[in-house]
Amino acid sequence: MTRTPHRRHGAGFFVVAALLALAACSTQDYPNTTFTHNSDLNVDVNALWDRVLFMATGVFIVVEAILVFTIFKFRAKPGAPMPKQIHGNHVLEIVWTMIPVFILIPLAIPTVKTIFKTQAPAPAGSLQVEVYGHQWWWEFRYPQYGVTTANELYIPTGKTVNFTLRTVDVLHSFWAPGLGGKRDLITNKTNYLWYTPNADLAEQVFNGFCTEYCGSSHANMRLRVYTVKPENFESWAAHQKAGAEGSPALIAAQKTADSIAKKAPAKAAIVPTPGGAPSPPVMNTGYVFPAANLKAHNIPRTPIPASMKFDDGLLAQGDAAAGHALVTNPVNMGKAPCLTCHLIRGEQAFLTDDNAKGPNLTHVASRHTFAGGLFPSNPANLARWIKNATAMKPGATMTTFGIGEYSSLMKAKVTAGLTDKEIADIVAYLMTLK
Amino acid sequence: MATTAAPAPGQTPTAGGSYAAGEQTGIWSWLATVDHKRIGTLYLWTALSFFIVGGIEAFIIRLQLMRPNGQVVSAEVYNQLFTMHGTTMVFLVIMPLSAAFFNYLIPLQIGARDVAFPRLNAFSYWVYLFGGVFMTIPIFFGAAPNGGWFGYAPLTTMQFSGGLNIDFWVIGLQILGISSLAAAFNFITTIINMRAPGMTLMRMPIFTWMSFIVQFLLILAFPAITIALVFLQFDRFFGTQFYEIAAGADPLLWQHLFWVFGHPEVYILILPAFGLASEILPTFSKKPLFGYNVMVYSGIMIGFLGFGVWAHHMFAVGMGATADTIFSMATMLIGIPTGVKIFNWIATMWGGQIRFTVAMKFAIALVALFTIGGISGVMHSSPPTDLQQTDTYFIVAHFHYVLFGGSIMGIMGGIYFYYPKMTGRYMSEKIGNWHFWLFFIGMNLTFFPMHFSGMLGMPRRIYSYDVGQGWETFNFQSTIGVMIQGLGLILFVYNFLKSKKTGAVAPGDAWGAGTLEWSIPSPPPEYNFAQLPVVTSRYPLWDLKHPEMTAGLAHSGPDAMTVTDSHATPMHEETEYKNAADLGIPMPFPTIKPLFTALFLVLMFSGLLFIHLDLFPVALTIMIGCAAAFVGSLYGWLTSPLE
Repeated sequence: MTRTPHRRHGAGFFVVAALLALAACSTQDYPNTTFTHNSDLNVDVNALWDRVLFMATGVFIVVEAILVFTIFKFRAKPGAPMPKQIHGNHVLEIVWTMIPVFILIPLAIPTVKTIFKTQAPAPAGSLQVEVYGHQWWWEFRYPQYGVTTANELYIPTGKTVNFTLRTVDVLHSFWAPGLGGKRDLITNKTNYLWYTPNADLAEQVFNGFCTEYCGSSHANMRLRVYTVKPENFESWAAHQKAGAEGSPALIAAQKTADSIAKKAPAKAAIVPTPGGAPSPPVMNTGYVFPAANLKAHNIPRTPIPASMKFDDGLLAQGDAAAGHALVTNPVNMGKAPCLTCHLIRGEQAFLTDDNAKGPNLTHVASRHTFAGGLFPSNPANLARWIKNATAMKPGATMTTFGIGEYSSLMKAKVTAGLTDKEIADIVAYLMTLK
Repeated sequence: MATTAAPAPGQTPTAGGSYAAGEQTGIWSWLATVDHKRIGTLYLWTALSFFIVGGIEAFIIRLQLMRPNGQVVSAEVYNQLFTMHGTTMVFLVIMPLSAAFFNYLIPLQIGARDVAFPRLNAFSYWVYLFGGVFMTIPIFFGAAPNGGWFGYAPLTTMQFSGGLNIDFWVIGLQILGISSLAAAFNFITTIINMRAPGMTLMRMPIFTWMSFIVQFLLILAFPAITIALVFLQFDRFFGTQFYEIAAGADPLLWQHLFWVFGHPEVYILILPAFGLASEILPTFSKKPLFGYNVMVYSGIMIGFLGFGVWAHHMFAVGMGATADTIFSMATMLIGIPTGVKIFNWIATMWGGQIRFTVAMKFAIALVALFTIGGISGVMHSSPPTDLQQTDTYFIVAHFHYVLFGGSIMGIMGGIYFYYPKMTGRYMSEKIGNWHFWLFFIGMNLTFFPMHFSGMLGMPRRIYSYDVGQGWETFNFQSTIGVMIQGLGLILFVYNFLKSKKTGAVAPGDAWGAGTLEWSIPSPPPEYNFAQLPVVTSRYPLWDLKHPEMTAGLAHSGPDAMTVTDSHATPMHEETEYKNAADLGIPMPFPTIKPLFTALFLVLMFSGLLFIHLDLFPVALTIMIGCAAAFVGSLYGWLTSPLE
């Protein structure tokens, strides 16, 4: 038997591992890293994790080094005598039974302490957020504020937020790695998770994910957590609490703004829109996290399917008043039944957050993303979404409205639906819902 | 695989090759076989075929994830692929690869002429084959199971997964459970009753010991998943409400039942590989296994503790601090017997004369790579940190180090080690070396970066991820790694097929090992042992050929009471092929009835599918017809003479 080279790359792995571990500390390149100290929970967990990682790396190096040394040292040499036959050694075996025990004790003690600390009930006076999982988007309710929103969560820095986690369908799991560990959303059960973003945390956006497999679009069930200054949070919440009443006035203002925007190059676009109309400038809407402060990793880059055609030129001509009529006037219910699934507070009364199947749209235009954080919220994307949601997101349960589009839910072409112009009107209306 | 012509009885094989004296050849001899060696061979070929299927699934998964927002497959196809990759590798590859070795080796290692119930053994195989085909076919029609290998309710209930996809999974797993249970009872009976004279339990080869433990795990773990599956099946077909959320079901019922099975299942997958490595390492170190007793006890300990840690898969479900603490501590405890095994393997090599055959390299790789999987296992035994890792790629990295680095590496070592015993020819060491290094490097390149993508926030089971999330490099590396593994797999298949005809001829004692299976010709004659050897120590063949190697072991001859077989003689080597009839050894008749019994059983189950196609009369006809045929075959089986 030929002797082959010994395993030399064991050491190489350590080096690579160490380099990658160092690199992992950079949140610039790794925006979803768990190696953070942004909240009290992450501080506790990482104190434990640092110890675990240190011990694990130590054990790894020692064991693999002994192994590599052994196979190098005791490789067969030609003409060597028969090795000494050893069948076992009780002392040695007791020793290396005890070694793991002594390694595990300093791991077990802080583990138990941290379990009981982090799973205690949230402190009184915490900000309450009810998280509802839906296939495949997130609903967030703030019962203390009467606010309901979707996929985008605002929380104030320095204040404990207590998440009450429930699901309306299958299991999901709520996770924003930069702020803390995950917790499952279990049907017919309520779970809790709480943490306090550091008081000195800069205003920023953390990406989050569903981490329990929940069907077709599990990968497309993302969320964003905006950590903002307490005063900004209050401003945001106060405005979100208001309904969409008075929208005709907003529409009038919107029209003026649009005509101005058409003359001047758009500077206030929320996010770059490929071939789309510029987003309307921000009006008096309470605090909204400025689009300009979003980092690249906060802006979804999900490709739009090539099959999705929409005449983006129509978006600039979108008539918000006509869109408002389409959405809210009962005579159009057959054509644009938006309000059978979506709640727009102030526009109708028969839906509540509990029986609305789709995301609450009362302030949809104040969000930077939609469809489970899959797309930037801009007129071009919203129009395509209304036209054919299932083509944009696998398994989406929203009806396909674009005339001539293939509806994978109905397994047929849509014959009675909305024209591109009508969709553009609806989008124009939605963009007033700031 | 039809065999080549058999040599005349009494002739010593000179050219090697996959035959044994006096045996039937041709397709019929395989369909009707009740010989444990042939059944082991069938398991091996079938499981390796499924390994290629599962490998292709993995390859497509990695192509999809190579770049952000991958467009290779759709979300729906991806979900089917990852479900079937897991299901295939667990139930159709690693378990049956282990079963191939149980079948082939246990009777040879304990000095028996066959298993206790040869026909039941054939039945187990055919149920596995038909069940595996039943589960695999729908992937070619885009209708494969898509609920994950763990099939969490309520996603798998009719409300959220109409269609046949989940039906294939629910029915298929129950079918495979029948195969595993039948085999487990068979091997337990075999090991308890059919050991050669003098082979006490503590003289059994370590592979047989680990297999023995695994059979108990199987019969204790499979009922749990069977209950879970029957509940789900009744929900889906007959309107019960075990998991119906609208009726107030608690979905955690499924998770508890599933993981009460699922965690012991991990040890079902890994202990046979541990056993194989424990045979290979001493042989190529020219030293006996270090601390045999402790290796046995730690195996039992791992199997026992394995039933008390299931909820560590559920730290995120909100069980409460007390439950989290208990399951966390129990999980850490498992690290102790596992660590002992690692140290004992190293101590086995320490002071030895290590020959780096391909088999040995795979066994050493098992020690090196399982260590990594074991360490990362302890790392997320701590619930607070696990909440950052569970359902991320860190876990994917962890269990691939256990199941690929552990199970597959050990089994590959076992294949290179036992191939000469099975075929009479060695596999090519040259090609084997390439295979090993491609697997070893490819495996690490694939799975090591997953530790990082996981700690950097990448969730599992996602068909796509966005640009700029910090995971691109790691995913690209993983995909390259899979390509390297793919090359290794191609070389392995080539080596496996080619060596059967052109490999160097192997003697009975192909490697200088010490256990009974090496004391008979390669390949073994159908009766295995012409004279049953009387065993006086753990390494009977070393007793015979290298008494200095076992001088330190306790030796004792068997009591006169235990030697009742007129064929029993002192330990010896057998080199000749004889005719079983000439030796006066009764051999069980070949029979096709187990095959038909298995076939009708599987067809009976598949009749259920027609209920969901709204063809109730068809369903009823198939099920009643196949049930009748099943009973008929079984009656024929039970009433035909054995030998």
